[in-house]
Amino acid sequence: MFKHSGTGNYAYMSARVKAKQSKLLKEEDYNKMLMMSVPEISHFISEAGYSKEMNDLAVRHSGIELLEYATYMNMSKQFRSILESANGELKDMVAAYLTKWDFENLKVVLRGKNYGLTLENMREDLVIAGSLKEDDLEKLLSAPSIEEALAIFKSKTGLSVSDEAIRAYKEDKILTKIEDEITKGYYKNVLDSISGKDRATNIFRNYMKYVIDLKNVETIMKLKMENIGGEEAADFFIPGGYQLNQKIYAQAAAAPTMEAAFNELQSMKIYEELKALSQTPTISLLVLSMERVRLQMAIQVAHMYPLSVIPVVVYMIMKEDEVKKIRTVAHGVDSGLDRDSIKNLLVI
Amino acid sequence: MAAAEAAGMIAIGAGLAVGLAGLGSGIAEKDIGAAAVGAITENPSLFGRAMIFTVLPETIVIFGLVIAIMAIFVM
Repeated sequence: MFKHSGTGNYAYMSARVKAKQSKLLKEEDYNKMLMMSVPEISHFISEAGYSKEMNDLAVRHSGIELLEYATYMNMSKQFRSILESANGELKDMVAAYLTKWDFENLKVVLRGKNYGLTLENMREDLVIAGSLKEDDLEKLLSAPSIEEALAIFKSKTGLSVSDEAIRAYKEDKILTKIEDEITKGYYKNVLDSISGKDRATNIFRNYMKYVIDLKNVETIMKLKMENIGGEEAADFFIPGGYQLNQKIYAQAAAAPTMEAAFNELQSMKIYEELKALSQTPTISLLVLSMERVRLQMAIQVAHMYPLSVIPVVVYMIMKEDEVKKIRTVAHGVDSGLDRDSIKNLLVI
Repeated sequence: MAAAEAAGMIAIGAGLAVGLAGLGSGIAEKDIGAAAVGAITENPSLFGRAMIFTVLPETIVIFGLVIAIMAIFVM
């Protein structure tokens, strides 16, 4: 799938993404934004690096819609510029990481089609940063059914969803199984495309394996919160993790309580960081907190290996985080939520 | 004859001192220069600082040069 040779321009890219990182919004900026109205937020982010996208799109969109399009467009541009500036195996790894957006975009399209959203609504949430170009995504959007969208996706990326998952969807119109296979497909795709034979690719491979572990822990915690038993949980296991194998996963998922589940995870390196999350009251907060753990882990690895792909990954996670936060604040303000509730959703 | 040979050896030594030091600082500057350009691309105000970091390894060449001068004029 990926074909570049040579080691890559790590020093150049690391310095460049760190300079980009220094321009991201800080905690005080979000606090300021909480006091603003949607037009004021739009003006504020225009001055914080989103001006070109805001100006370009202002002709066609306005209000919160403009903000949504502009933030995602800016993020896509930043990611694509990183990909274009990287070379050698570094470019391969960045490209492999960015395929995440192909899979995320597919999920957006499938959910949109399932819930009967308009093309415009679905387009708002697409991030054109993966291997699929705008035309490919338009084809996905205009597919008449979910099965056809999946067929188009398969022809572009090679990912196929099992007949069983499609049958399950047809029966109850719930996308869980299909989405689950898409998620697994992404991680398999990334691990398969990165050899891990030399030091640089091995760092990235191990990082992705840790990410899979975190994803599996997140699944266990979500299932425990919903009181779902071990047998159903087995389907959601993502193979290829670093420390969390299927056996530990099954034991943790079968545990009667959250505490008992965490006891099964004691062998994991990041157990202490995860333990603090066992008291998280809601699933949405849990997802945000896990994002934080993922970011902290990436920052730690980036400190250990400054000349690797990880500083680039850290920037991409932080940029995604920034865009999510801007959108959360804007949506919260737009729907009249009070400041404290919005702040709780940010996990700054 | 022996004196001429010794002078030749000193000249080779001086050449190696400057040449190898130059090679070493070149290797060191490779990554620093690349990082400096990366940082300046995003933030041009970093030019001054980036420049200082980029030329820091040049000091190694000065050591080589001092050794070369000592070899030629002192020995």
